[in-house]
Amino acid sequence: MVTQSASDEYKAVQLLSLRRRLADDRILRLIPIILLIAVLAVLAASVPNFFTSRNIINVLVQASTLGLMAIGMTFVMISGGIDLSIPAIMALSAILGAMHLRDGGSIAVSCLIMLAVGGLLGAVNGFAVAYLKMIPFVVTLAMMTVATGTSIWITNSISVPVTNEALFDLVLDRSFLNIPRPVFITALVTILAVVIIRKHIFGRWLYAVGVNAKAARVSGVPTTRVIFGTYVISGFMAGLTAIVLAARLGSASANMGSDSIVLDIVSSCVVGGVSIYGGVGGPLGAVFGAILITVISNSMNMMQVSFFTSLIVKGIVIIAFVAFDSFRRR
Amino acid sequence: MAEPYLQMIGITKQFPGVRALSNVSLAAYAGEAHALIGANGAGKSTLMNILGGVIRADAGEIRIGGKPVAIHSPLDATANGIAFVHQEMAMLPTMTVAENMHIASFPTRLGWVDRNTMVERTRPILRRLGCQFSPDTQVQHLSTGDRQMVEIARALLSHPSIIIFDEPTSSLTSREKARLFDVIRGLKAEGVTIIYITHFLDEVFQICERATVLRGGEMVGSGVMQELKPEQIVHMMIGDLGVEVHQKALKANLGEPVLRVTRLNREGVLKDISFILHRGEVLGLWGLLGSGRTEVARAIIGLDPIDSGQIEIHDGKTLRVVRPSEAQRWIGMLTEDRRDEGLLLPMSVKQNMSLANLRGLASRWMLIRDDEETRQASRLVKRLNIIISNLRQPVRTLSGGNQQKVVVGRWLQVSPPIFIMDEPTRGLDVGAKAEIRNIILELAEAGNAILVISSEIDEMIALCQRYLVMNRGQIVKELPGSATRNELMAAAAGVEMADAASI
Repeated sequence: MVTQSASDEYKAVQLLSLRRRLADDRILRLIPIILLIAVLAVLAASVPNFFTSRNIINVLVQASTLGLMAIGMTFVMISGGIDLSIPAIMALSAILGAMHLRDGGSIAVSCLIMLAVGGLLGAVNGFAVAYLKMIPFVVTLAMMTVATGTSIWITNSISVPVTNEALFDLVLDRSFLNIPRPVFITALVTILAVVIIRKHIFGRWLYAVGVNAKAARVSGVPTTRVIFGTYVISGFMAGLTAIVLAARLGSASANMGSDSIVLDIVSSCVVGGVSIYGGVGGPLGAVFGAILITVISNSMNMMQVSFFTSLIVKGIVIIAFVAFDSFRRR
Repeated sequence: MAEPYLQMIGITKQFPGVRALSNVSLAAYAGEAHALIGANGAGKSTLMNILGGVIRADAGEIRIGGKPVAIHSPLDATANGIAFVHQEMAMLPTMTVAENMHIASFPTRLGWVDRNTMVERTRPILRRLGCQFSPDTQVQHLSTGDRQMVEIARALLSHPSIIIFDEPTSSLTSREKARLFDVIRGLKAEGVTIIYITHFLDEVFQICERATVLRGGEMVGSGVMQELKPEQIVHMMIGDLGVEVHQKALKANLGEPVLRVTRLNREGVLKDISFILHRGEVLGLWGLLGSGRTEVARAIIGLDPIDSGQIEIHDGKTLRVVRPSEAQRWIGMLTEDRRDEGLLLPMSVKQNMSLANLRGLASRWMLIRDDEETRQASRLVKRLNIIISNLRQPVRTLSGGNQQKVVVGRWLQVSPPIFIMDEPTRGLDVGAKAEIRNIILELAEAGNAILVISSEIDEMIALCQRYLVMNRGQIVKELPGSATRNELMAAAAGVEMADAASI
C-alpha cells in the first residue's frame, strides 16, 4: 500500500516549484559556458602550450567531427530517442568509401557512397524505432554491433588507406585564414541545422514529438515519419563525418568508431543542453558541448593524463549533467 | 435499529488549493453493503483513503463498533480490521497466488520466506471464496475474475471486519460479476461491513442495502436502497444548478451528413456504434463515466484501434470512406485530458496554437512564416479572449481556462468541418465554461458539425441539438434536443421512462 502523509505531499509540492523555478532560470543555460571558462583558465595556468594558434586550430578540427556527429544525435535526442550506432556507422561508411577509392573509384562517388551508407543504415534504425516501435537503445546498440562487425569482417581489422590524395586537398584545404575546411563544414552544417530546428516545419514537429508525442499526434503531426527522419539525419551525419575523418586520418578502419566516441557524442549533447528526455536543446548547444568535450580531452592529453583516466573524467561529466537535467526536468 | 458498525463523522480534508472533503459523514452497518457513489472528483477516493490511513483528515472522527479510533497509517487501518480491494489489481504476474497475497509481509523463518506457512494460510481463504485454482498457480495464468478473487483473498488475510471494494466489476464479465456478488453476499452473512464504490447504479441496487452519495466533496444524500430511485441518485450525483436555460436554438431540419459512422466495434470496449453527424449540429454523446463515450471519439480519429466498422466523411463533394488515421484531416479534436494529450506545456502560446496548422503556415521551403504565425495567433488570442502577457509565454503558466482556449484556438486556425470535444470545460471556472460553450455554439452556427462529450448534464442541455445515450460501450438510445434533464438522467442510468415519470 502506498504510504504518504500530508507533509510529504507538501514537500513534494515545494520541490516541484523549486524545480520549476530552476527550469525557468536562464542562468542554468550558462553553466556549460562558465565551466568552459573555468577549464580554459585552469589550462592557461597549467598547460603552457594550450593557447598556441596551432593547438587551438587542432582543437577546432577535432571538435568539428565530433560536432557533426553531435548535431545528428541532437535530432534524435530531441525526439526522445538515442542513437548509439553513429560512430559504428561512421566507420563502416568510411571503410566502404575508402575501398571504392582503393579500387580506383572517383572521389565524388566515394563521398556519395559514404553519405548513402550512413543515411541508409540510419533509415534501418529509424524504421525499427518509428514503424516497428522498437526501443531506440536496443535497436541502435544492435546496429552498432552489426556495423562494427561488418567493418572488421570486410577489412580483416586492417585499415584501408585513402589512396587518392585529391580527397585530402578537397577536405583539408586551409587556404582561407589558414583554417582547415572541416571547421567551415561544421559551421555551415550547424547553421543549416539551426535553421531546420528553428524555422523548418520538421523542427517544430520534432519538438512537439519530443515534448508530448500524444498531443502532437492528436494535432496531426506525422510523429512516425518525424522519428524516422531523425535517425536518417543522424546516419547521414555519420556519413558526412566519415568523409572528413577519412581524409584527415588518411585511412579508414573499424577503430574509427570506437565506443568511447559514443560517450563523447552523448557528452557533447548533454553538456550542450540537449535533454536525454527529449524536447529540449538544439544543435548550437551540442556543437558548443563538442568543443568543450574536445578541450577537456585535448588538455588532459597535454597534461599527460592517461586515456583511461580521461574516460573516467568524461564519464563523471556526463553523469553530473544528466543528474542536473533530471533535476530540472519538467 | 442497531448502532452503525462504522461511522465517519464530519470528515474534512483540505488539499493545497482544493477542499476535497467538507464535513462528510457516513454510517455503515455490520452485515450490510454500503454503496459510496459519486462522479470523478467527488471525493470517494479521498474519503476511503482517510479510512485506509493513506491520508489524514484535517477534522472529523472515525468510530468502529461505537469506539473512536485513530487511523494514522495503513497499519493502523489493518489493525482496526479495515481492508481494501483495489480497482486495478496491482499484482506481480510471474509470482504465485500465495506470494501475491503475502507480498506486503511474507511469513519468515530465520529470515527466509516460509513457503509452507504461506500456502497453508492461503488455502482456506481460497476455499472460502470458492476458488478452484491452487495457491501455487502463477497469477499470469488466471482470468481477470480469478485475479479479482486473489485480490479479495489478499484482503481477507487479515480477517477484516470492514472491506472496501473500489470499482470491483469494471473489468469483469457478467459471470465473474455474479460470482463476485455471491462472495460479497457470503461476507455480509458473516457479518462483515462492506463499502462498495461504484458508478454502475444497477449493481448498487443488486448488492447494497444503503448508499451515500458525494458530489464536489460534500455529502449530498444517503439512505436505504429500498427507498431510493436510480433517477434520484443520478440527480444527486450530477446536481441541479438551477433552471434549465436553453441557449441553443433548436433547428427543425438537420443539415447534410458530414460524418457517418457505421457499426464500429472494438472487443470489450465498443459495440456496433453507428450514428450520423450533420452540418451545423451539436450532437451530444451522453452517458456515465466508463460508458464508452471517450472511446468512441478516440476510435474515430484513429487514436485507439478498431476491430471493425466504417467511417465516412464529407470531403466537400460527397461522403467517402476514410481510414481513422485519415479522419484527422477533417476533425479537430479536443481531448479529455488537455495536459496529457493536448498541450505542449513548456512551449509558447504561439507555438501551441500553430501546431495543427503548420503546413498552412509554411512557405515553399517548408519554413514556418513567423509573421503569419504571429498574426494568426494574435487574431485568435483576441477572438477567444485569451489572457496572456505575450505570445511567447509558455502555456504551462496559463490558467486552465486559457489553456483550453489555446487548444480551441489551435483548431480554429485550421477550421476543420468537424470538431470532437471531449469534456471541453472540465475543471474550468464558471466564466471560462460559459465562454467555451459560446464558442461551441458559434462554431455550430457557422456550419461546423460538433460532437460533444460531457459529464455535466447542464452543459449537454445548453449545447446539444440531439443526444446519443451510451451505456457499456453501446448506443442505447437517441433523444431529441428537447429532452429534459430527467429523461437524460434516466436514459444514462438505464432506467425506462415509465419509472422516470413517477419521480
